[in-house]
Amino acid sequence: MKRYPVVIGATVAGLAGILSYHTSNLTSPLSSNLAVGPGSGSTTTTTKPGTTSTTGGTTSTTGGSSTSTTSTSAPPAVTTSSATGTGEQYGYGILSVKVTVKASKILDVKVAKLQTADTYSQSLAQQVIPYLSRQVLKAQSSRISGISGATYTSEAYAMSVQSALSQLHFR
Amino acid sequence: MLGHAEKVMGTVVSFTVDCGSVPDDSVRRAVARACRLLHRMDDIFSTWQPASPMSRLRRGELNLDDVPPEIPQVLEQCAEARALSNGWFDPWAMPGGVDPTGLVKGWAVEAAMKMVREAGVPAALVNGGGDLVGFRPPSSVPWRIGIRHPWDASALACVVELEDAIATSGSYERGAHLLDPRTGQLTTAAASATVTGPSLALADALATALAVGGDDVLALLAALPGYDGYLIRSDGTEESTERMAFTS
Repeated sequence: MKRYPVVIGATVAGLAGILSYHTSNLTSPLSSNLAVGPGSGSTTTTTKPGTTSTTGGTTSTTGGSSTSTTSTSAPPAVTTSSATGTGEQYGYGILSVKVTVKASKILDVKVAKLQTADTYSQSLAQQVIPYLSRQVLKAQSSRISGISGATYTSEAYAMSVQSALSQLHFR
Repeated sequence: MLGHAEKVMGTVVSFTVDCGSVPDDSVRRAVARACRLLHRMDDIFSTWQPASPMSRLRRGELNLDDVPPEIPQVLEQCAEARALSNGWFDPWAMPGGVDPTGLVKGWAVEAAMKMVREAGVPAALVNGGGDLVGFRPPSSVPWRIGIRHPWDASALACVVELEDAIATSGSYERGAHLLDPRTGQLTTAAASATVTGPSLALADALATALAVGGDDVLALLAALPGYDGYLIRSDGTEESTERMAFTS
């Protein structure tokens, strides 16, 4: 059974694309234990992926020398780098974010610029943005592929994140 | 895994594609074709662009014989959605003439998904500004989709396993923007309305209907094969049809 991307496209339309890069290697540990198939009805019995027991691991105790050689390749030496994404127009203003990455990991996403037409939009954006930031960071280990019910703010956010990441040649 | 985000139809449409054994270049070309399709649909259906065929049809400058064939196709699906929703989704009750906006985004995103699927890839998810449609091999684990919490921006209301399509309609960020076709007034009956089912076009329209009609539409959904609904009322109470694929 193959597990499909655990990319959080997030509300954050667009992030799906951006983050798929990392998630592909993060998904494998979860792959074997999700017992829910399509059409299994309403009360779904899910095995929580987070608590996956290593059923996939073969315990071959016969004389054969088949030990699984999971060589942990040393991570390449890397530096931390940042880029500011384009200012994205959205329904209520302009939003731009600054993304910091190290190796293939997003370390931080901050708001570089936020201009809104009115105070209501401002407070709305300030309410939504921390959530989006957390989603971006969580996406690297999240089990969710997208969020239904996206909104303007999140779309602008996603586009700015994407442009920042492409400046960092993050794909 | 290949990703792409396209600004179109006043939103962002993002693609996440598992290329399988299909070369990346072929997948990229398929995604590019899908994006061109989305832009073409935007040009045809936009009610914001005065010169779009849809706008001209609304003003009576064109009749159905003169517009691109996609318009009668979409209107036919709108009529179907109106009947299925018992009139709670009614593009013909909108001010300024027939307005298929509540269905056309889902319809276009679904068409885009099909174009990607034609490339022969094993799985893909297309997210059209929070309305999603995906496919995957029969034995694989479903896509998991969070439903945005209507009030707490730091939380999800729930997570569901996506079979085909999911659409959510709500009044949380854009304020009241849904019109009750029966009264002609803006409505805020539902805080969030989600519909899942085989067609994103219909799910999109039915989510709008659910947001406006609330429990009446939920009852209709319960009787509609393949479709399910999840309603968060404006008082915070929740209700869903029996088969809604909630997960932890």
